[in-house]
Amino acid sequence: MMIERTVYRSIDRIGDPALRRAAESLARLILENWFYGLVVVLLWLFPNIVADLSGSEVTPRRPTGESTFWQSEMARALVLACLAMSYNLLFGYNGIISFGHALFFGAGGYITFILLARVDRSYQQEALVLVLAVVLALAIFARPNVRRLVTLAVGGVLLVLLLVPSAPSMTFYQAAALAVLGSAGLSLLSGVVTLRLRGIYFTMFTLALAEMFFVLVKSGTFRNITGAEDGLGFGDLLPDALNPTPTGDGSRLQMYRLTIVFFVIVFLAIRRYLNSPVGRVIVAIRENEERARTIGYNTFFYKLLTMMFAGVIATLSGVLFVIWATDKRVHPELLSLKFTVDPLLHTLIGGVGTLTGPVVAALGLSLGETYLRNETFTLETGVLGLMAMWQFAVALVVALLVLFLRRALRPAIHRLVGEGGRWSVVGAYLGLWIALSAAALLIGGQIVPDLELRDETLNVSDLWDLFLGIVFVVVVMLLPHGIVGTWNRFWITRRVRRMERALQRDKAP
Amino acid sequence: MQTYLASLTPQHRRSWLLVVVYVAFLLALSWLDFGFNTAGQTVFRGILLGMLVFLVASGLSLIFGLLDVLNFAQGAFLLIGAYVGYDIYQSLDASIEVRFLAAIGGAVLFVAAIGAIMETGLIRPLYERPIFQIVLTFGLAAIFLDLVERAYGRNPKQPLSPPPLLDEKFTLFQQSLSVYRLFIIGLGLAMMIGVYLLLNRTRIGIIIRAGVQDPEMVQALGINVRRVFTLVFILGSALAALGGIALVPYQGATLEMGNQFLILAIVVVVIGGMGSYEGTAVASIVVGLTRAVAEQLSLEHFDAPVLAETSILLLMIAVLLVQPSGLFGRGE
Amino acid sequence: MSATPAPAHILEVRGIHTFIGEFHILEGVTVEVPPGSITVLLGRNGAGKTTTLRSIIGLAPPRAGEIVFNSVPIHGLRAHKIAQMGIGYVPEKRIIFRDLTVGENLLIAEREKGDLDRKADLIFGLFPDLKRLYNLSGGHLSGGQQQMLAIARALVADNSLLLIDEPSEGLAPVLIEHMMEAIRQLSASTTVLLVEQNFQVASQLAERYVIIEEGISVHSGRMADLVQDQALITTYLGVA
Repeated sequence: MMIERTVYRSIDRIGDPALRRAAESLARLILENWFYGLVVVLLWLFPNIVADLSGSEVTPRRPTGESTFWQSEMARALVLACLAMSYNLLFGYNGIISFGHALFFGAGGYITFILLARVDRSYQQEALVLVLAVVLALAIFARPNVRRLVTLAVGGVLLVLLLVPSAPSMTFYQAAALAVLGSAGLSLLSGVVTLRLRGIYFTMFTLALAEMFFVLVKSGTFRNITGAEDGLGFGDLLPDALNPTPTGDGSRLQMYRLTIVFFVIVFLAIRRYLNSPVGRVIVAIRENEERARTIGYNTFFYKLLTMMFAGVIATLSGVLFVIWATDKRVHPELLSLKFTVDPLLHTLIGGVGTLTGPVVAALGLSLGETYLRNETFTLETGVLGLMAMWQFAVALVVALLVLFLRRALRPAIHRLVGEGGRWSVVGAYLGLWIALSAAALLIGGQIVPDLELRDETLNVSDLWDLFLGIVFVVVVMLLPHGIVGTWNRFWITRRVRRMERALQRDKAP
Repeated sequence: MQTYLASLTPQHRRSWLLVVVYVAFLLALSWLDFGFNTAGQTVFRGILLGMLVFLVASGLSLIFGLLDVLNFAQGAFLLIGAYVGYDIYQSLDASIEVRFLAAIGGAVLFVAAIGAIMETGLIRPLYERPIFQIVLTFGLAAIFLDLVERAYGRNPKQPLSPPPLLDEKFTLFQQSLSVYRLFIIGLGLAMMIGVYLLLNRTRIGIIIRAGVQDPEMVQALGINVRRVFTLVFILGSALAALGGIALVPYQGATLEMGNQFLILAIVVVVIGGMGSYEGTAVASIVVGLTRAVAEQLSLEHFDAPVLAETSILLLMIAVLLVQPSGLFGRGE
Repeated sequence: MSATPAPAHILEVRGIHTFIGEFHILEGVTVEVPPGSITVLLGRNGAGKTTTLRSIIGLAPPRAGEIVFNSVPIHGLRAHKIAQMGIGYVPEKRIIFRDLTVGENLLIAEREKGDLDRKADLIFGLFPDLKRLYNLSGGHLSGGQQQMLAIARALVADNSLLLIDEPSEGLAPVLIEHMMEAIRQLSASTTVLLVEQNFQVASQLAERYVIIEEGISVHSGRMADLVQDQALITTYLGVA
């Protein structure tokens, strides 16, 4: 606050208007983005930091050692963060709930390597002709804004295809570009069909569509093409420049840095998209689609555009994710619900509709899972599986009692809490539950000494999904705006209150 | 009958026509391709599957119709019903009949209790935020699956033996089948009729149907709609659990069965139309038949079950293209 | 219980403020309804008349102010509890249940078993058509018949106050006559609080009025006085 004021005040003193404007934009750039810059620098230096902390090398000869391990983990986390950002674009900013996002994620790896493995010559000429035909058709028939955007996108792809010399067989970059095109085409097709559907039908359709491809890819019928449940091995099809496995020559480090660059580009691209006129319409659609339509916007077009954009980001993330796979295989799991649920979780926990929320959640949760992976703890359980985790059952029963007897307990609770407000009430109930459960457990512990209890060692990684689910439920119930969202609102309300106080001070004589 | 046909909208009339034509097509295709007996067996299997799917789908449809919540945990309810029923059956020390009945009763009650807690404790507070409600059921489904896996392990459970009364064999289309299959069909049919009677002949049924249309108005008439919501949610979860435990003597219990039936139920509800009871009933049979015929086709011609699994989804896509709000939905 | 004089008004709305989302719709509405009368809320489109009714029945609870019914405060209670105290609500655009039959629409309004049987004479006396259409699905009724059903439905249970929102909307003149006659007849046993945009209808039906302008109640009194006061009519109601 103070810093900003002093900086802007000193800039205002500059005489030359052009210089002043330049200084102002520079200042604004730095002041608004210093945090992001710091994060990027930290990410860049991350391998070195880990190396210093753990006493390992940043580029050892063989891919062992803390630093190299964490390079790949961080890279994977960054890619998942990009996936989460793309999901947030759909869900948080456009209000589209897709349960089939994994389709685009997995498609990246699969299409790229299926083409590379099965296609034995470069279809570059055919691709160029096809693309030119499509561009021509669109240029003739499409509406002005469609034309502009499509020609831009297609022009970009053409450039890529042209720059790479016509090789005798398909190169990785061509395959990846085609995967992106394919993904865009898929979003286009599915969007045209599904965006006519009312909200809930749309969501279920996307679920079914993704499920269908997952089943197709996993089935044995197409084993020759997709490798079925074992996945598609692509070992030596990966160009050396992008191969993170040799670590001695710094390939992994280089790939890591490339991933950071990708991450930053995706972040900036999404931010640019959201701040553009198109982006504002998207948010308007999320708030009230009916109204946006009556104002005159073709909401269908904008939603389709966002779907394609998000799909492309997901596909590119998918390709990158596969590059980092340790067993050099593309697994059908990439198309499964896991990679739809994870970005959904990250978006919700981080903060729907915030730019950094999903990133924070994705990085935090992925890295956290890796870090805690080998931790274990022991629990006493009995023979009858879940039923005999009697402590659990007792706590559950007590919780039920408290829930159902809420009305009867209410006067007592309110007398206890007074004017406390919602959080104190929740706290009171929680306290009551804990107290009653503890009592019941203590008493119960005396009564059931003859249950066959044995110690079971539980791995954190086993329980991770459960833990994630519980965190998710808690966040949905208590922090509807996610972690970052609640944080933002907290600071905003503070600022607003400070301004209100200032205003009142000014008003009072 | 006359009044029912007369009261149909043109859209619904067309849907009935499509359904009849499609089913006739499936029957004819089976007869011509597989021969009379195999076709008969396939149709029987299809109806059986349809009844099971109906149990899960009717809950999904009712819950969505009244609460506007897409309960993704329906599949998990089926799963829990199956595993808990299995557990009870194995743990009791009594005659088969008693164990069987206890398994059914216990499974249904257990899941109904979970449903009650879930609705009152987690879904109701989120009434203002429907998106979160859907996402919540999704998350809970994943949690439930995880819990069941933790408690019972990954290995599939072998089918239990039904009581000897239900294990008699009979011959249908030259195939020896257990009477238990008829039991499942009977159960499904009983539920179909039972829920229909509930919706159309009881006061609570009137309230539910009114609530599907306008819950606010029902509230303004002096009826505590929220209690009805909980009731419907409990009913939906109980039906799914019934489907789950009914399956165990037929096919055993696996961890995937929850999701498998959830997808089928979702397809049924989308095809039939959200919130439409007749739609769900009709679509269940259609989906069951389609799946059975597709499986038989793949078996005979392609030596792989892939076609079967995608056939359902293709059917859904086809229906949505023709009728974006489902065959018998309220096309608004 | 100490002797308290009978309340002058069956319903008192005292300075309520109601929000819809973040929009401050009612900024201080006061309405007093004497028992056994027909009172009408007048005002231009969007003034807040419907919101006032919704606040009374509990569908849009007020954030400030009080609502007292038969000396019992009802603001803040859940809608079904308020209805159970004897308030019937007939929303605008006749929200009858289209998938239910006429009979089912009436049955659902029962608060005690047998309510419909007891009121059958009254209801079918006022609206004989409904008897004929008893088994027809609500969606197949004409606009006028739906309006009759909506009002009839509010008569099934023992309601001492009826809230009726724009009953004449979209009805042909002859039907409006019929509907007005019905309301007049039932006001003999029930108090009616009406929202009516059509001043002709309002002036012929109501004994008292309250004018609401931009969320604030600005004027009230006897209808007989209002019809004489052309200036007042033009100021607050636009065209008479």
